[in-house]
Amino acid sequence: MPTIPFEVFRGSPGQTRFDTFSLDIPEHTPILTALLKIRDEIDPTLTLRYSCRQAICGSCAMRINGKSRLACLTPVGPEFRARGKLRIEPMANQPVLRDLVVDQGPFWQRYHSIRPYLVPDPQHPLPVGKESPMTPEQVAQFQETPRCIACASCYSACPAIASDGDFLGPMALAKLFRFVVDPRDGAFHERLLGVQNQSLWLCLRCNLCVESCPKDVRPAERIHDLKWMANQELGALERGSRHAIKFASNIREGGLLNEMKLARETLGLVGMLGQIPKGIELARHGKSIRKHPPIQGREELDAIYRELDRPEDLQHRPRVPGQGVKGPTQQPSKAGGAA
Amino acid sequence: MVGAGLAGQRAALEAIRSGLDVGILSKLHPLRSHSGAAQGGINAALGPQDSVKDHVYDTVKGSDYLADQDAVEILCREAGPTVIEMEHFGTIFNRAPDGSLDRRAFGGASYSRTIFAADRTGLALLQALYEEISRETRVRIYEEWDAIRLVSRGGRVHGVVALDRKTGTVEGFAAKSVVVATGPAGRIYARTTNSHASTGDGGALAYRAGAYLKDMEFVQFHPTALPGSGILITEGARGEGGILRNKNGERFMERYAPHVKDLASRDVVSRAIATEVAEGRGFPDGTCHLELMHLGREKVETKLQEIVGFCRNFAGIDPVTEPIPVYPAQHYMMGGIHTNPRGETNLAGLYAAGEAACVSVHGANRLGANSLLETLVYGKIAGANAAEFARKTTAGELTPEDVSTAEKELHALWERREGEPPARLRNDLQSTMEADVGIYRTPEQLEAARRKLGEIRTRYASCYVEDKSTVYNVNLTDAIELGHMLDLAEVIVAGALARTESRGAHVRRDFPRRDDANWMKHTMALWSPQGPVLSYLPVTVTEYAPKERVY
Ligand SMILES: Cc1cc2nc3c(=O)[nH]c(=O)nc-3n(C[C@H](O)[C@H](O)[C@H](O)COP(=O)(O)OP(=O)(O)OC[C@H]3O[C@@H](n4cnc5c(N)ncnc54)[C@H](O)[C@@H]3O)c2cc1C
Ligand code: FES
Repeated sequence: MPTIPFEVFRGSPGQTRFDTFSLDIPEHTPILTALLKIRDEIDPTLTLRYSCRQAICGSCAMRINGKSRLACLTPVGPEFRARGKLRIEPMANQPVLRDLVVDQGPFWQRYHSIRPYLVPDPQHPLPVGKESPMTPEQVAQFQETPRCIACASCYSACPAIASDGDFLGPMALAKLFRFVVDPRDGAFHERLLGVQNQSLWLCLRCNLCVESCPKDVRPAERIHDLKWMANQELGALERGSRHAIKFASNIREGGLLNEMKLARETLGLVGMLGQIPKGIELARHGKSIRKHPPIQGREELDAIYRELDRPEDLQHRPRVPGQGVKGPTQQPSKAGGAA
Repeated sequence: MVGAGLAGQRAALEAIRSGLDVGILSKLHPLRSHSGAAQGGINAALGPQDSVKDHVYDTVKGSDYLADQDAVEILCREAGPTVIEMEHFGTIFNRAPDGSLDRRAFGGASYSRTIFAADRTGLALLQALYEEISRETRVRIYEEWDAIRLVSRGGRVHGVVALDRKTGTVEGFAAKSVVVATGPAGRIYARTTNSHASTGDGGALAYRAGAYLKDMEFVQFHPTALPGSGILITEGARGEGGILRNKNGERFMERYAPHVKDLASRDVVSRAIATEVAEGRGFPDGTCHLELMHLGREKVETKLQEIVGFCRNFAGIDPVTEPIPVYPAQHYMMGGIHTNPRGETNLAGLYAAGEAACVSVHGANRLGANSLLETLVYGKIAGANAAEFARKTTAGELTPEDVSTAEKELHALWERREGEPPARLRNDLQSTMEADVGIYRTPEQLEAARRKLGEIRTRYASCYVEDKSTVYNVNLTDAIELGHMLDLAEVIVAGALARTESRGAHVRRDFPRRDDANWMKHTMALWSPQGPVLSYLPVTVTEYAPKERVY
C-alpha cells in the first residue's frame, strides 16, 4: 500500500491554507473514502459535501489535481502516480463557504432560469389516464441528458462561466436541451428564442465540460445541438448564428476567409462602423484584411461542402415530430450549420 | 415537510396544489436525496394479463402476511395512476417499441410489472418531481437545513426546530401540520447499501415527540453488496448466470436451494452467504465470491455494464477476469413511524410517508420496486390529509422556549471541551448492529447488543464535537445523527428480542418458524426515559388469510 499525501484546501475566504495529510491506502480507494478517513481518524474539522458514495447524488464534486471530478468516483491511484500527490480543492466558479464546500446558489439559479419543467401545449394536451405517445426516435433524443446528476463539475470546469456572468453554463443548457427535444413540451420555440441571443454563443467550445462530466452527458455537444436547432427554427436572427452561417458560406465562396465581408454580413454596415478602431488596430499590427486571391484546389473544397450538405448530416438532431406532437416549423434548410 | 425525497416532495406538491403555503426542510438539496439511488424500477400492474389483485396478493405474500391488506390495496390500486402521473410530470421512462411504458420482471412478482428508466429509475422520478415542484410559487425549500426537534404538546404537533448547515443558525418553524419523510436509516449498520445521509432522523424525532414506531425489527438485507462500501450489486448479475462460490470453490447455493440455486430469493441467498461465512467457508475477508468470468467479456460488458462500472470504479475489481467479493448488506427498513392508511400518526397534525414511515405495506419483507411506489402513493395521501388538517386547525404554538431548549442542547454538545469523537461511537454502534442484530438473531446476541447499546448511550453523553465552526459543520451534524441512530437501534433490538418467531426478514435461531397464533401483529414502540415501551397492534386482513410462503 502506497503512502499518499493529500494537500487539502482548508478554511473560509480571507483565511485559507493547504493542510497535508498522509494515508496508507490501496490505490483503488476512491478519493471520497480517503477524505472521510481523514475526517474520522485525523481531523474531524475537515468539511465537505457527500452522501451516496456511488456517483448518483452529485454532492461530492471538487477539484482533484486541478480537474473537476466526483471524489467518490475517482480512485487515488492514477492521479497520485501522475503527479506524486493529490491536491484537493473546492470547485471553481462558485464562492467557497468553507474547506471543500462551495455556495451552489448561482449554479441552481441558472438551472431554475431555464424553466426546468414541462410547459403544457394547449394544442396537444397529454392523453388522459394513459402515457403520452412517444416514438423510438423521440425516445432516442433522451440518450444523454437524463443521466445528469447536477454535480456541477461542468460548471466548475467552464472557462466561459468564469469570463461571462451571463452565460447559463453547460449544465443548464444541457437541461434546456432535455426540454427542447421533449415531445410533451409546448415551449419549443420560446425556449430556443430565450437562449439564442445570449447563452448559446458564449460557449467557447473548449470541451472541458465534456471531459469533466462523470455521466457522459457531453454538455458541449448538447449546446451545439441547440445552436443547430435555433438556426433551423428561428433563422439567423442575431449575431452568433449569423456569424456561424456566414462564416461557412464565406469560405465556400472563396476558399479563404474574407473578414471584411464576414464582418459586414454578421454585423451589418452600422455595426461595422463600431469595429473601425479594431480594424485600424489590426492593420497597425500588420494583419491584412484585404480580399484574398482565389485559392488552388477548389474541387477539394467543394467536395468537403458536398459531404457536409448530405441530407443525413443536415438532420443532425432535428426535433422528431410524432403523432399528436408538434414538430419543427421548418424543414432543415440548406444553410450551413455552426461552423 | 421534513425531507425532500420522493415522499416529501410528493406530499408537498399535494399540499401546494390544494392551495396552501408549504415549507420544505431538507438536509440535502432535494435532487441529492437517496431516492435518486434506486435503480430497478417501480411496480404498477399495467401489463395486459396483470391485475391490481395480483399485485396485492404478491405484496401480501411477500410481506409474510404482516402487511395491512387495506393499505396494500390502496398502494396497488393507485400504482397505475401514479406512474402515469409521473410520466405526465415528465419522467423519462423506458418505452417498448410501440411507445408504451416498458416493463421488466422483478423478484416475487407474478408478472412483469416493474416500470423503469434504464438503471436510474429513482433519479428519473426525482428529477421529474423536482421539476414539477419548481413550477410552483407557494413553496419555499430550505435546502441544507436539518430538523433537530419535533415540537409536540397535548397530543398535537406544533412545529419543527431546525439547524441551517450553511450558517449554524437554529430556527423554529411553527406549523399547523408536519409531514415527516426523512427516508432510510441504513447507516445504523456497518454494511449498508444506503447513502451516508440515511440516518433515520425523522423516525427518532417523531419517537421522541411521542409518536409510535412500528415493526422496527424488520430489516431487509440485500445478499450481494461490495464488502467495503456496501454498494449494491443487483440481482441482474445472478439473473444473467452469475454463480456464488465459497472459499472451497463450492457452488453452495446448490445446498440451500437445490432447484433455483443462485436465483433464490433475496432473503434465502442472504442467509446462505451469512451461514457459509459464519461456518468458516468464507474467504479471509469474510465474503463469498460472485463469479461472472465464465459468462465471457462481451456478455458481462454489455449486459451488466453498470455492475462492471461499480466494481472497477469503487472496488478496483474487474469482474470480467476476477470474482467479485460480496456479502449481504442492510438494504431497507420495513419499520418506521406508525401511520394509518391516511398517513396519520398518533399525534394530531403529524403525518409520515416514505421509508421513514410504516403504513404497513411491506410487512415483514418488502418486495423489490414497491417502495418507490409507496413513497409516491402515500406521500400524496399524507400531503393531502396534512393539508386538510391544516385548513381546519389553529396555528401551531411554537414558543421561544421550544427553540431555545433545542438550541441549548445543541450548544451543550457543541461547546463541550473533551470527550469521544462521534466517528468512534458511530463505528461501535454500526459494528454492534452488524454483528449481533443481523440476518440471524439469537437471544444471547440480542441481549449483548442491548448491553452494548446501553454503554454507547452512556458514552454518547460525553460525545465531543471538535469542529467549532458555524459554517457547514458536518462534525456537529454527525453527532446529532448518531443520537438518532442510537434511538432507532434500541427499538430494533427491543422488538427483535420480544418477537419469538421467524417472519420475513426477522429470523430467530431459537424460533425458526412463523407463529401466526401469537405473532400476527405489529410491534409498536413508544419512547420512555427507561427505553422503548412495546405494545402490539393487530394486522388488518381483508382477503388473504396467512399461508406458508413458498416460491
Ligand atoms: C441502492 C438502492 C436501490 C434501491 N432500488 C429500489 C428500486 O429499484 N425500487 C424501489 O421501489 N425501491 C428501491 N430502493 C428503496 C427506495 O429507493 C427508498 O425506499 C425510497 O427512495 C425512499 O424515499 P424517501 O422519500 O422516503 O426518502 P429519501 O429519498 O431518502 O429522502 C429523504 C429526505 O429527507 C431529508 N432528510 C433526512 N433527514 C433530515 C433531517 N433531519 N432534516 C431535514 N431533512 C432531512 C433528506 O435530505 C432527503 O431529502 C432502493 C434503495 C437503495 C438503497
Ligand atoms: S457522494 Fe454522491 S456523487 Fe459522490
